[in-house]
Parts: sequence; C-alpha cells; structure tokens
Amino acid sequence: MSEVRFVTREIGSLAKPGWRVKSIAGRPVEKTDIEYARKWGDRLDIDTEKLTEILGKGTNFSDSEKAQIQDQAALYGIRLLENSGLDVVYDGEQRRSEMYDHAVKHAHGFETRGTVRSWDNKYYTKAAVVEKPLVDTTYDLEEYEFVRDNTERTVKVPFTGAYTVMDWSYDEHYARGDSFLGASAERRMDARRIFGVDAARDVVRPNLAGIVEAGADWVQIDEPAATTRPEEVPLVVETFNATREGIDVLCSIHICFSDYSCLFPHIEGLDDCYELQLEFSNRDSLETGTKDADRPGYAILERFRESEWDGKIGLGVIDIHTDFIEPPELVRDRILYAAGVLGPERIEVNTDCGLRTRSWEVSYEKLVSMVEGTRLAEEALNGS
Amino acid sequence: MREIKAYVPGIYARSEALVRATRDLDRGRTTQETVAEREATDLHDFLEVQREASLDYFSDGLLNWQDIFRPLDEAAEGLRPGPLTRFLNTNTFFRAPAVEAETPKLAEPLGEPFFRIGDLPRGRWAATLPSPHALAHFSAGELSSQAVAETVIGPQIRWLVGNGCAMVILQEAALFSGERDVFGLGEALDALESPVPLAIQLPFGDAGEVLGELVELDVEAIGVDFYATDVAALPRPFPKTLLAGVIDARNSLLEEPEEIAEFGRQLLEELEGELHLVPNGDLQFVPEKIAREKVRRLGEAARILKKEQ
Repeated sequence: MSEVRFVTREIGSLAKPGWRVKSIAGRPVEKTDIEYARKWGDRLDIDTEKLTEILGKGTNFSDSEKAQIQDQAALYGIRLLENSGLDVVYDGEQRRSEMYDHAVKHAHGFETRGTVRSWDNKYYTKAAVVEKPLVDTTYDLEEYEFVRDNTERTVKVPFTGAYTVMDWSYDEHYARGDSFLGASAERRMDARRIFGVDAARDVVRPNLAGIVEAGADWVQIDEPAATTRPEEVPLVVETFNATREGIDVLCSIHICFSDYSCLFPHIEGLDDCYELQLEFSNRDSLETGTKDADRPGYAILERFRESEWDGKIGLGVIDIHTDFIEPPELVRDRILYAAGVLGPERIEVNTDCGLRTRSWEVSYEKLVSMVEGTRLAEEALNGS
Repeated sequence: MREIKAYVPGIYARSEALVRATRDLDRGRTTQETVAEREATDLHDFLEVQREASLDYFSDGLLNWQDIFRPLDEAAEGLRPGPLTRFLNTNTFFRAPAVEAETPKLAEPLGEPFFRIGDLPRGRWAATLPSPHALAHFSAGELSSQAVAETVIGPQIRWLVGNGCAMVILQEAALFSGERDVFGLGEALDALESPVPLAIQLPFGDAGEVLGELVELDVEAIGVDFYATDVAALPRPFPKTLLAGVIDARNSLLEEPEEIAEFGRQLLEELEGELHLVPNGDLQFVPEKIAREKVRRLGEAARILKKEQ
C-alpha cells in the first residue's frame, strides 16, 4: 500500500499590503509601508531594493512603476505561500480588486450601478447586466504567466464562477421585456437560467480556456453564492458543466459558508469535477479529537460518503475569520477524522476560504500550522 | 371606491456620500458627528423624494440601523448582537440577536436618532420594525415570539404611536422555511396590543404557500413580494389590506409606472381591503440613486390608480 500524502494549498486571496493598495489607488505610500515591504521581503528572501526605491517616491507612480509594484506584490504572494510549505500556490490574487468586480469589469455587457451594503458599514459595488455578456480576451493571462514563470510548485488558478456572477449582478437584460410582476416561478427561473449559462459560456469560459491554452492544468471555480438559493443548485451544476465543457483541465469548485446539505443529490450531475473545496473549520470545535462528537463541523462529510459523487474533498481545516492559530494537532485531527469517513485518498487540505481578511503575519502562521498538521496526519496514517 | 396608498417601509439606501462617511468612520478617518451630519442630509433628501412622489405615509429610512434587529438588540436587556447571518437569499448579512435572558426587556423604547420623529409629519408616517416572530426565529438561542412581542416590540409600538406614527409595518422574513409557525406569529401579534393598524410584510420571498393561513390572523394588512410570488397564489377575494410589493428592491431595472398601475388594476378586482403600493423589501438593496428613481415611479403609479378611482 502506498504512503498517504495529502496535497496542501490555499484557496486564493491574501490580504493586499498597504504599499500595493495605496500606490495603485493613488494614495501616498508612507515610510511604514516601505518598512513593511522590506520586512516581508527579507523574510521571504526577495530582493527589495528595486521595489523600495520605487515606493520611496511616495506618490504619482507612473504606469510602468505601478506594473512593477503589481508584479512585486504577486511575487510576495507566491513566496509567502511557498515559504509556508504549500504544495500548490498562486499569487494571493494580488492583482485583482475583488472577485466579483474582477470578473465583470473585464466583460462587455455589464455596467456598474453603485454601492450596496453587505453588512454594517461594509459595502460592495454591484453591476447590472445590460446586454448579453461577452469576454473576448484572456484577461488573466499575464497574471497566470507571471505565476507560472515564478514558481516551481503546482499552480491552481482561481476564477469567479458563472452562477455567482449571475446571482450577484442586477439583471437589466434578461428580466427586461415581459414584466416579472406577479409572474410564475418558472418564468423568473428561466431568465436566471439563461443568464447563468450565458455567463458560463461567454464570461468565465473564454478566460479559463485561454489560461488552459497557456499551460494551466488546474483551475478552481469559486462559487460562494452556490447555495444561496437551494432550489437553484441544479443551475450551479449546469453552469459548472457549461464552463468546463470540452476543456481538458483539472477542475475544482470552491464553495464556502453554505448549507452543504443543499448540494445533494445535485452534485452527482457534475461533469468531471475533480473536487469540492469546502469550508468546515468555521463551524468546528477548537478541541482536538477524532470522534464524531469532537468534530461537529465535519458532520456533513457523512453525506458525501453516501453520495454517488465520488470526487475529492478539499478539506477546510483553517478558519479564515479569526486570528486564532490552529495548533498542528487540531489540524491533524480534523484531517484524520475526514480520512476516517471518506478514506484518505479522497482528501486534500486547504484553508476554509481565502485569507484576505487576515494580516500576512496571521495568514503565514496559519498556513505553516496547516502544513505541520498535515504532516502529523500523514505520520499517523503511515504509522511512522 | 377603494383606498390606494403608496409608501416606502424598511431600510432605505445610503447615498454614496454616506457610504464614504461610514467607511471613513470605521477606518478612523472621520468623526461620528460628520456621519450624523451626512445622515441628516440623506434623511432630508429622502423625505423630499417622498414629498415629490406624493407618498401617503412618510418613512425615515432607518438610515443609521445596521440591520433590522440591531438597535433593538442593543437596547433590550437580555439581547445582544450575535453571529453574522445571511438575510434570506441575499448577499447582505445581519447580526442574529443573541439571547442572554429568557425574557428580554426593552429598557427604554428607541427614540431619536433611531426614529426621526422630529422630522416626520405627525399622524402621517409609518414605522418599520421586525416582526416579533422573525426576531425570535432568527435569534441565536431560545426565545419565544410572545415574550418578544410583550416586552420588546409592543412597548416600542406604543411609544411610536404616542409620537405620531400612523402605521406599523412588521418585517417578517421567517415564514418561508418549512419550520414556519403561523400560530406563534398570531399569538405574538395579539400580545402586541397595537393601537394602530399593523401590517405583516414578507420581503423577498414567495408568500404563496402561507397566504391562506396569514389572512386568518388578526392583522390589518399583509405585504406580498410580487417579484417572488405568483399572483395566482393570492387568496380570492383577499380580505385584508394588501401591501403589494410592486417595486423590485433587489434589481436596478426601473419599473414602468403604467405597468405597475395595470398590475394594480388586476389586484383591485380581487381585494376587499385597501391597496397599498410598496417595494418588495428594503430599498437598501439598490444604490441610492436607483432607489430614489424607484420611489418616484412608485408615486407615479399610485397617482395613475388614484385618478381612476
């Protein structure tokens, strides 16, 4: 029997450092920002001379300087993930604004409408689809090529999924014409379905296909909205299939902070989905242990075991909402529990979601602990 | 002749300027006073839009409410803001009321600045509160709807009425799941002892399955989202006042007043009570400039229908 070896990776986003945010937004870069760049450069073994020289200007960066700053931010992201010991990396999405905005601003057919509240004094920008949407460039090509050329590790490229693009957009195109006022659920659903499939085929797919053509062999479709409307999970499946149809690539889906029971039995309709990367630790106990009662956050794994869908589970073992550093032993027990339910061959290891709300210090410590815990789990399973 | 009214319950959209001010407050770049000044400007603008649209009741837009439960969670002994929770199937979240005592109690009813009674015309304004059933249902902990009605929402309603409120809309988002407790809602409504008409509004969801039970409750008006509810599901004749959610607060697409009026004509044929035109939920789900235009169009639709009566 071959030895168990779990693949470790992050989900996508890391926080953007002040020097990256301010320089691109046109705000003055301060001495403390430059110090931060220098400190992390030393820690990650990156030559900071050129970057700190550019940042020293403080303001009014040229386009060329901004491009160099973006490159350096991406390099810091890659190195941070590499140094923490991950097997699979990307650039912490350092070039992207926000996952929804990044997708729709590169597509024809969307117009920004303004700001709405997410919660409290937190807001996000929403766009409306105003005509059949279309992406006619591989807009993430430069981003991907930079990562590919700057790491020896496996690369997994994250994309915002079509269902989420549809669900988070206003609809001024598909809902126009016949009024939906007092209409049947079927009529309303039809419009959302057409929008979702168009977003899959003509918004997400062209960019993804271009990246695969450039050499990417593993992509991750992010669908945070996947279970927002449980009755539409079949549409999530349909848009996933439409996105990857005919493209030869390892394809994962990331879904977080959701009621996963809504996924059954619909995930059985996923075409060639390598894995579901899911969040669990957010709802789990912080105590060690591998019994059912010790791991309440992972109870849903039983449903995956019973399901005919037999892909891998990207096991979220790190909570991205707190600064608590999960001890390696806790990570180990979460993995061992999941391996006991599904078998170790179906498990890969990741954070619950992107770490962009955590500082780099916290993110790094969490990832290091995640890798250490993974090694402990392997030792336990391999009997060494 | 049937009475037709139009108004805008719930949390209204914050202007881009107020968004900036509140963001700056969180980042320590501005003061609470500056935010309060900006809120006052937003309130003035919102009241002006309602006046121009000739709405029948005014609303203050709850501009400083972080969510529909929050000020009550913070004011009531035995409650506090709890975990962040998704509001229905939207991308907006609220703090679920966390329960610290079996019977929470409003220490003092909420006044200014949570209800801007100084800016609202006495006897011509409507207030929005969470339904006691929704507050209990969404709480993190064990809480009875009746206790919430008796010791939190009821005292608040009586204070509002004493300060010129003409109508109270209870936002009820907890009737869409299989666990709904219409009987419990009915008991809670009785316990409110409201001196003014009460409306139960079901925002952003299909009310079709529950309308038959709701019309049996002792409540003057029921609010239905007609962008999520098939009009065929409306019990006929409809024995109550209907708050018809005819403005889609979840989409930026602007409604045509004549289209709303045509839909209103169909509804009038089925109604025994009054027809009140409202958005299908809080207008905070669209940016303020769009919300403003939707309010104007709501008023225009009501004007068309009133002329025909």
